[in-house]
Amino acid sequence: MMNRTIKRIAWGVMLLALVLYPWLFGIYYTNVFVTFAIFALYAVSYNLLLGFTGLFSFGHAMFFGAGAYATALALTHIEGCPLLVALLFGFFGSVVLALLLSPIVARLAHSAFAMLHLAFGMLMYTLALKLRGITGGEDGIGGFPIPPFHIPGVVSVDMTDPLNFYYFAIAVLGGSLWLAWYLIKTPFGQIIVSVRDNDKRVDYMGFKVPQTKAVIYALSCGFAGIAGSVYAMFQDLISAAALGIGHSFAPIVMTMVGGVASFAGPIWGAAIFAMIEELTSRYTERVLLVEGLVLIIVVMFFPGGFMYLVGLIKGKWLGFIRGKGFGVITGQWFTKRSGKKATEDDS
Amino acid sequence: MNILETKGLYHDFNRLEVLFDVNLQVKKGERHAIIGPNGAGKTTLFNVITGTYKPSRGTVFFKGKEVTGAKPHHMVRLGMGRSFQITSTFSRLTAFQNIRMGVLSRRGIRFNFFHKVDTMGDVTQETDEILKRINLHGERDMPANTLSYGKHRSLEISMALATDPDVVMLDEPTAGMSKDETRYAIELIRRLTEGKTAVIIEHDMDVVFSLADRITVLHLGEILASGPPDKIRENKAVKDAYLGEMEG
Amino acid sequence: MDATTAMYVAQGIHGLAYGMILFLVASGLTLIFGMMGILNIAHTAFFMLSAYFCYQVVVWTGSFWLALLVAPIATALVGVLVERFLLRKIHALGLLYELTLTVGVMFVIMEAVKVFWGTENLPLLVPPLLQGLVDIGGMEYPLYRLFIIGLSFLILGFLAFILYKTRLGMIVRAAVADPDMVNALGINVPFLFMFVFGVGTWLAGVAGVAIAPILTVFPGLADQMGMDAFIVVIVGGFGSLGGAFMVAVISGLLSSYGVQFVSQLAPVLMFMFMAVVLAIKPTGFFGERE
Repeated sequence: MMNRTIKRIAWGVMLLALVLYPWLFGIYYTNVFVTFAIFALYAVSYNLLLGFTGLFSFGHAMFFGAGAYATALALTHIEGCPLLVALLFGFFGSVVLALLLSPIVARLAHSAFAMLHLAFGMLMYTLALKLRGITGGEDGIGGFPIPPFHIPGVVSVDMTDPLNFYYFAIAVLGGSLWLAWYLIKTPFGQIIVSVRDNDKRVDYMGFKVPQTKAVIYALSCGFAGIAGSVYAMFQDLISAAALGIGHSFAPIVMTMVGGVASFAGPIWGAAIFAMIEELTSRYTERVLLVEGLVLIIVVMFFPGGFMYLVGLIKGKWLGFIRGKGFGVITGQWFTKRSGKKATEDDS
Repeated sequence: MNILETKGLYHDFNRLEVLFDVNLQVKKGERHAIIGPNGAGKTTLFNVITGTYKPSRGTVFFKGKEVTGAKPHHMVRLGMGRSFQITSTFSRLTAFQNIRMGVLSRRGIRFNFFHKVDTMGDVTQETDEILKRINLHGERDMPANTLSYGKHRSLEISMALATDPDVVMLDEPTAGMSKDETRYAIELIRRLTEGKTAVIIEHDMDVVFSLADRITVLHLGEILASGPPDKIRENKAVKDAYLGEMEG
Repeated sequence: MDATTAMYVAQGIHGLAYGMILFLVASGLTLIFGMMGILNIAHTAFFMLSAYFCYQVVVWTGSFWLALLVAPIATALVGVLVERFLLRKIHALGLLYELTLTVGVMFVIMEAVKVFWGTENLPLLVPPLLQGLVDIGGMEYPLYRLFIIGLSFLILGFLAFILYKTRLGMIVRAAVADPDMVNALGINVPFLFMFVFGVGTWLAGVAGVAIAPILTVFPGLADQMGMDAFIVVIVGGFGSLGGAFMVAVISGLLSSYGVQFVSQLAPVLMFMFMAVVLAIKPTGFFGERE
């Protein structure tokens, strides 16, 4: 199978490139890459809700922030907290928050879902600002110890070294991305894309929809929490801004620019924004201006995002339609003008 | 044996009363048509039976057990399938993926995070077989919303059957179909409901008299008459309600 | 009137003034959402843009009154251009794309003002006519705040009059309830949309001019007002002017009294209130549209 071998080689090359990256590009760009990878996972976690389940959240930052704070607090207050435990704190911090919200959230109509998340997100942000005792408010918590990656008796790797941290981050973030990707390929993944298309019908095929939504919600938020956790460790600092509206916008715009209709879209979106920031900030402080223009141009001319462009260029539009378990996004996204579902509009 | 039965069913929407004392009896293995003028409450009756609504009063029995107010997914797991008057498929997924959902459901494969669904050979095989039986295998990889109306409707009906239910509730399966498509649909339904019980809401009398073993007539939320087709054809009250529509 | 009561009243006036400005911004936002289903994220950026336009007019002509007239109209014009050439084209793509586009517009406006006017606070003086204090019942209150309240009520009254007493208003209300039907009646809905978008933006523009002398003109104006305005629209109900009014006034008063007496809790209370409202009634207090 020629295709398979080519794919395997391509992945192998990419893996090699990842390993060699710091040596090729230096510490500064290594750190840039880590930031990109963090947001790539964050954006993908968001797209699990948006592109795959059809749930539009306007407050995803609170899960990113919850993971970040959970990790930061664990490292600050728990004497000798191991690296992986801190990471787990981040993951479970977000998951717990998600599970607390899911009874309310799993049964809401689309726009209520979005707005409620906006409300809770802002609430969490304000709490983070006000509870200075715990969160350090606007200044945040920082300077907590970053533990080494430690397997007793085997190895202890210093994580304050950017190079080591890079490999750790790539492993964690890459692993999480792979898990998310695999999730989409499972039967559960089929259920959630069906929910996106027609949640009433999913009920009528014998599946419990609220529970399904709750599970994907918890997983998506968990992944966001991991991204936040790595973010906190990477910066050795976390402040209330992590929960702010800016961080709620970020995954949305990254996903839209990269392409909401695919798994890899948000990753490309994160990469594009990382590049814009890097390139623009050399010449001007007005990075947001460029980002805003890019957003406008993408929405006006390439609503399918970067992945759509790629599909066009490759001429693989047909292959794109096949979906491979995904389904087509024809651009009639969220056509809920008068409350009717897109399915009824489509035929 | 009555596989499906309602007793004293009433339903209203915020004081607007839609169903009055409906006592429906569906025998196992029969094809039972529900007919009546528009607004008679047929779809509401379906919605109450299949679990979309909880009735204001009365009970629903399925396979001898009371299921009043049970949610749709529960009814499906008990062995009921339902199709909709307005086509309600997973429009952006392929025909294959649509049917596969039914197969996964029947096999209890739901919160499965461990296998790639595309590699589940037996699921794929069963889905393909169903597709062949409904003559949609050629359109296997086409998104549902690119199918022609008739084929899309076939898919709609097949999804109700994909979970291999014992009782299938079809709401105006031939809605919007041309004469040819309707004839085709009748054959399809006849074939697919062999050995099953079918409850069919229909307006097209050709379909009704081709398929139905028994007919229940609903008018203004009440059962006007219920019985074999010839009895219904003769029934004066039914004729009045329909004003000569029944040309059989 | 004794000193404590006077303080309460002063607080009340401050709160009411802020509430009215908040209402002006929110009313535009809710009108736009109610009719077109667009949650215009850039709305508060227009609010800020108008403040900058106002500053510029004052710099050129020295007249605040001229600015009050011109700046909102100029802002409305920008809004109309955005609607006509950007939003309208992607309308069919749905809510998510409209949202993303307005985010982009917001970024552009927020940064553009920095390019043209820099990042510092630009001071703006209250016009001489409105400066100073007014004596009511033995206590003195800032005239400008009272002016804001008066102006807002005037605009609100005018708006209500047009909406409920004129044919145009009837059409607008009908279009809010059912745009497709209005289109079917032969009314030029795209033009109507553009018009309403313009009016909504104009309202934000007026608010921007009104608040400029109080807060000074700076790039963070949009953030400060932004969240508050959105909360008002959400809690008051999408498309509901009455709801927006109620919630805006209550918000203004709450934050005014709140800030004085319960400084830590005021924002939290507001958000909790909103969260509870949404949890119970996901369409907001008065809203019917989703």
